[in-house]
Amino acid sequence: MSRLQLKGVGKSYGATKALRHADLDIEAGEVHVLMGSNGSGKSTLSKIVAGSVRPDTGEILLDGKPVSITGPQAARRLGIAIFYQELSLAAHRTVAENICLADLPSRGVFVDRTALEARAAKYIALFDGVTGDDFSPDAVVQDLRADQRQLVEIMKTLAGEASVLIFDEATSALDRAQVERFFEILRDLKRQGRSIIFISHRMDEIFAIGDRATVIRDGEIVGSRQIAGTTPAEIISMMVGAQEETATVADAAPARPAGPPVLSVRGLTGPGFSDIGFDVRAGEILGFGGLHGQGQSAVLRALFGANSPTAGSVELGGKPLHPKNPRATIRQGVAYVSGDRSRDGVVSGRPILENVMPIHYLRERMMLANPSALAAKALPALQALKTKFAGLGHPISSLSGGNQQKVVIARWLIDRPAVLLLDDPTKGIDLSAKADLFSLIRKLAGEGMGIVLYASEDAELLDNADRILVFNGGAIRRELTGAARTRFNLYQAAYEAA
Amino acid sequence: MASIEAPARPRSSSAVKRAFERYPFLPALIILVVLIALNGWFQPRSLSLVGVTGLVKTYLALMLLAVAQTYVIYAGDIDLSAGAIVSLVNVVIVGVMAQWGGDGVTIVAALAIGLATGLACGIVNGIVVAALRLQAIVATFATSIFFTGLALYIQPVAGTPAPTAFWRTYGGRILEIPFVFHVVVLFAVLLAILVRTRLSLRLLAVGDGQQESYQSGLPVTAIRMGGYALCGVFAALAAFCITGDTASGDPLVGGKMTLFSIAAVVLGGSALSGGYGTVVGSVIGALIIGFINSLVFFVGTPSEWQNLVQGVAILLALMAGVLVGRRARA
Amino acid sequence: MSAVTALLRQPLVVALILIAGLLWLGETLSPGFASGQQILRLLIVAALLGIVAAGQNLVILGGREGIDLSVGGVVSLSAIIAGNLMAGDNAGIPLAILACVVAGAFFGLLNGIGVTLLRIPPLVMTLGMLGVLQGLLVVVRQGIPSGRAAPALADFVSRTFLFGLPGILWLWVVIGLVMAFLLNRTVFGHRIYAIGSNEQAAFMAGVPVKAIRIALFVLSGVFAAITGICLLGYSGSSFANVGEQYMLASIIAVVFGGTPLSGGKGGYTGTMAGAFLLVILQSILTTVNIDESGRQMVFGATLLVLMLFYGRGRSMRA
Repeated sequence: MSRLQLKGVGKSYGATKALRHADLDIEAGEVHVLMGSNGSGKSTLSKIVAGSVRPDTGEILLDGKPVSITGPQAARRLGIAIFYQELSLAAHRTVAENICLADLPSRGVFVDRTALEARAAKYIALFDGVTGDDFSPDAVVQDLRADQRQLVEIMKTLAGEASVLIFDEATSALDRAQVERFFEILRDLKRQGRSIIFISHRMDEIFAIGDRATVIRDGEIVGSRQIAGTTPAEIISMMVGAQEETATVADAAPARPAGPPVLSVRGLTGPGFSDIGFDVRAGEILGFGGLHGQGQSAVLRALFGANSPTAGSVELGGKPLHPKNPRATIRQGVAYVSGDRSRDGVVSGRPILENVMPIHYLRERMMLANPSALAAKALPALQALKTKFAGLGHPISSLSGGNQQKVVIARWLIDRPAVLLLDDPTKGIDLSAKADLFSLIRKLAGEGMGIVLYASEDAELLDNADRILVFNGGAIRRELTGAARTRFNLYQAAYEAA
Repeated sequence: MASIEAPARPRSSSAVKRAFERYPFLPALIILVVLIALNGWFQPRSLSLVGVTGLVKTYLALMLLAVAQTYVIYAGDIDLSAGAIVSLVNVVIVGVMAQWGGDGVTIVAALAIGLATGLACGIVNGIVVAALRLQAIVATFATSIFFTGLALYIQPVAGTPAPTAFWRTYGGRILEIPFVFHVVVLFAVLLAILVRTRLSLRLLAVGDGQQESYQSGLPVTAIRMGGYALCGVFAALAAFCITGDTASGDPLVGGKMTLFSIAAVVLGGSALSGGYGTVVGSVIGALIIGFINSLVFFVGTPSEWQNLVQGVAILLALMAGVLVGRRARA
Repeated sequence: MSAVTALLRQPLVVALILIAGLLWLGETLSPGFASGQQILRLLIVAALLGIVAAGQNLVILGGREGIDLSVGGVVSLSAIIAGNLMAGDNAGIPLAILACVVAGAFFGLLNGIGVTLLRIPPLVMTLGMLGVLQGLLVVVRQGIPSGRAAPALADFVSRTFLFGLPGILWLWVVIGLVMAFLLNRTVFGHRIYAIGSNEQAAFMAGVPVKAIRIALFVLSGVFAAITGICLLGYSGSSFANVGEQYMLASIIAVVFGGTPLSGGKGGYTGTMAGAFLLVILQSILTTVNIDESGRQMVFGATLLVLMLFYGRGRSMRA
C-alpha cells in the first residue's frame, strides 16, 4: 500500500490550469523525484499536499485512507512537512526559533526556551561542519547567507518529524559538501521508512538520490520511471515532449570574435568580489563560471550600478563608465538581465507593454506614452524572442515564467545597448524558452554586441561562451579558452584553491 | 579610465550592532536621557519626586497605550481605534461607578467590566482585520468611529465625575510611595511576563511574513486576533490611568492619543512593518513625548509657539530614531 | 454570468452601484434627497474631498506603504493662509493661490525628502509632519484676524459657472481628466505604477524612483492646498483645524475607489466615485433623525460593510 496517493488532483488559477488530474503514488521509504520545467506544476502539487494550496478536484489518501488537508496546520498534524522553494523563515527571528516555530515547545502560555534550544540543537547538529562560520542557534536569520538560510529551512522541515517530507528545490543554494550531507540525511530518513518527494533541476542530484522519477509537463503527469532503469536523456525527452529537440543548443564551437574591446574592467573591488579585471570584445560572449555565489552576480550588478564598487575602473567603448546607478549605466549603453525576474525584472500586475518600455522611455527621455506608437516599437522586440502573449494590454503576470523573462529581455532590444550583462538569465524557465533565448544571444553577439553571461548551469556556459572566467571566493581564478572549455576544466577550476 | 575610489563604508563593530539588534530601543534611550538631562538643566524641580510623579501620572496612560499598539504592530498590523477604545472604557467605568455608587467593590467590578470592554473591542478589531481580511488602517478607522459613537451613546458629553476614592487612590500614596509607582512596577512585571509568552514570539514571526507563517503551520488569523485582543486589554488599562488622572468621564478623551501611541512605538525603535521591536522601547517612546512636552514648557516657549515646537521636536526625534537605529544595525 | 461577476469586480462599477443605491435610500428616507439641487450640493462637498484625495491617491499608488497623513494639516493651513491673504478682496486671490500652492508643495517636499532620502516610513514621516502643521496653525492664527474668502472665490465654489455647474465642479472634472491622462498616457504615470508595483524592478529599469516619489508627495501637498482654498470659498471664513476631517476621509475615498493601500494599481476615476460615495453616506446620516452617537455607530458599521464590497485581502490559502 502506498504511503501517499493522489487521485485526480487538479488546480486552476483563473484560466490557467496549473495541475490537471494528477495521479501519483509515493511509497514508504522512497525518494520520489518530481521533474519538470518551472511552471509545470511541481510546486502546485507540493503545496496541495502540504495544505497551503486548495485543490479544485481530486482526492488525497494517506496510508490508503482518504484525508482532507484543510491547511498547513492540518498537513502537519497528518505528518506532512515541506521545504518551500521560496523559504518560509521569519527574518528577524533566530535560527533556533525558526526551526521550532511551527510547534513551539511551551510550558503553559510560555515558551520553553530550554526545550526549544535543545530541540533546535538536535537538527543543527545534523549539519555540523558544513554550516559555515558565524552560524549559531541564536544567529538572526536575516544575517545569514543564502545557503545557510536554506539549511535552516531544511532543519525546520526535518523538525516536523513527518512521515512524508517534501523538498521543493532544497539544494539550489547549497554547496557540494552541504548537498552531500543533506543526501546522507535523506538516505537515513529513507531507511526509517519515511517518504520523500524531492524536486530539483540538477540531473546529477536526481540520479544520486532518487528511487523513482515522475515527470510533469504543463500541469500533466507524463509518466514515472525507476531511476535505476532510465537515463537523463530519457527524462529530458519526457520533460520537453516529443516535438522539441533535447539539447538546449546545437551550435558547435562559436567563432572567435575579433572586434575591439567594448567593455574593459580593471581592479574592480566591491562587496563580494575583489580586483576583477577583464575585457569583453564586440561580438564576444564572455562566460562567468564557477560555483554559484562566488562573486559573479555581484560583479555584474556592480557594473550595472545596482550595487556600488569601492575601487577599480571601468571603460565602455573607450569612454569611462561610472556605475553610479542603473539609470546612469543604461544611458551609456549597458544592459542587465537578472535571473531573479520577480524581484528585479517584472513589474507584475502591469501590462506587457509597460514592461517592455521603461528602457526606451529613459534612453529617449520621453514624456508622453502614446500606446499605438509604443506598440510599434514593442512588437518587433517581443517577436525577436518568439514571445507568446495574447495582447500588449494583458498583465505580464498572465504569462508563463519563460515568457515573462522574454518580455524583460525584450526591453533591451528597442535601443541596442553596447554591452549586455546576463546574470543567470535562464533561472527557472523552461527549455524551449532557454533555446529561444540563447539563439537570440548568439545572434546579438553576431551583430557586434559584447555579452557577459553568468550561468549556473555549466552546459549553458560551455555551449555558448567563447571564453570562460572561473570565479572562486570573489576573484577570477582561471580563464578557459578554446579547447580548454571543458566540463572537467570548469569543475576543476571551480573547486581548486577554495 | 574612470576610477572609483570610495572608502569602504565604515561598518559598525559587531558588538555595537548586536547591542542594537538585541535592544532596538537604544537610540530612544539615548534621546530620553538627553531629554531628562535638559529638563533637569532648565527646571531642576522637574526631576524631583513630585515632578517625576506628576509626569508619570500624566503619561502612564500613553505608555500603556503605546504598549497596546506595539502588540498589534509586532504582527505588522496597526490599530487606529486604540484611542477610541480608551474613550469607550473611560466612559464605561465612570458610568458603572456612578450607577452603582463609588465604593471599593463597585470600583473593582467597574474595572473588570472595563477590561472586558477593552477585550471585546480588541476582538472586534481582530475579527474585522484578521478574519474578514480588511486593510488594517481603514478598517480600524471605521471601528474607531463605531467605538466613539458607542462612547457618545453611553455619555453624550464630558463631565461625569469619577468617584473620589478612585482618583484619590490613583493620585495618592501607598506605604509613602506614590501609587503610580506601584502601577509602574506591576506594569513592568506584566511586560516581563508577556515577553516570555508564545503569543509574543508568534506575533513577531507573523510580522516577519504572514504568508510564510501560515505556510509554516502557524494559526495566523488567531495570532493576529490575539494581538488585537491584547491591544484592547492594554487600551483598557490606559483608560484606567487616564480616568485616575482626569477624574472624570469624557467620550472623546482618547481620540488624540492614537497617533501619539503610534509615534511612541516608532520612537521606541519598532518597525511599523512588523517582525521587529520591543515593548520597552514603546514605553521609552511615550516618555520621550512626555519629556519633550515638558521641556518645551520649561524652556519658556511662548504659549502659542509650544505646539509647533513640540511638533517639530517629535518629528525630529522620530527621524533621528529611525536613522540612528538603521545606521547602527547596518 | 461570468461577465457580470467580472463587472462587479470593477471597483468603479461597485462604487457607482453603491452611489445609486444610497441615493435611492436617501430619497426614500427623506424625499428630495436625490433632487438635482441636492445632488449638486453633495457633488460640491465631494469635490472638496475628491481634490485632496487626488494627492492621496498618487502617494498611495506609488507604493512602499505610501500614505499622507499630513493632508488634513495642509488643508487647514492653506485655508487660513488664503483667508488672511485675500481678506475678502478679489484682488488678493492670485497671491493667495500662489502662497497656498507654494506652502503645500513645500510641506509635500519635506515629506518626500524624509520618505525617500532619509527613508523614514511614510506613515511616520507624515504623522510627524501633521504634528508640525497643527503647531504651525496655532502660530499662524494668533494675532491675525481670521480671514474671509474673496467674493469671487465663494462664487466659484457655489455659483453656477457653466452649463449649470459651479466652477469647482469644472475644476474637479479637469483634475479628473488630467489625472487620467497623467496616469495612463505619460511616462511619469507608467513610472508611478512601476514603482508602486515593484520598486526594485523599476530601479533596475532606470526609473528615478526617489525623484518620482518626492514628486508624488509634492503633488499631494499641492492638491491639499487647492482643497484648502476651495474650502475657504465654501465656508466663507477659515477656522481652526477645518481640514482635519480630510486626513482619513481621503484615504477611505481612495480605497473605495479601488486603489488598495499596497499601491501599484487603481486610478483616480474610482477615487472620484469613492469621494462622492463617502459624502452621500455622511449626508444620509445627517438627514436621518438620530442623534450623534447613533450616527457615528451607523457610519462606522456602514464603512466596514462597504469595505467588504471592495474585496478583502487574499486568503492565505491559495
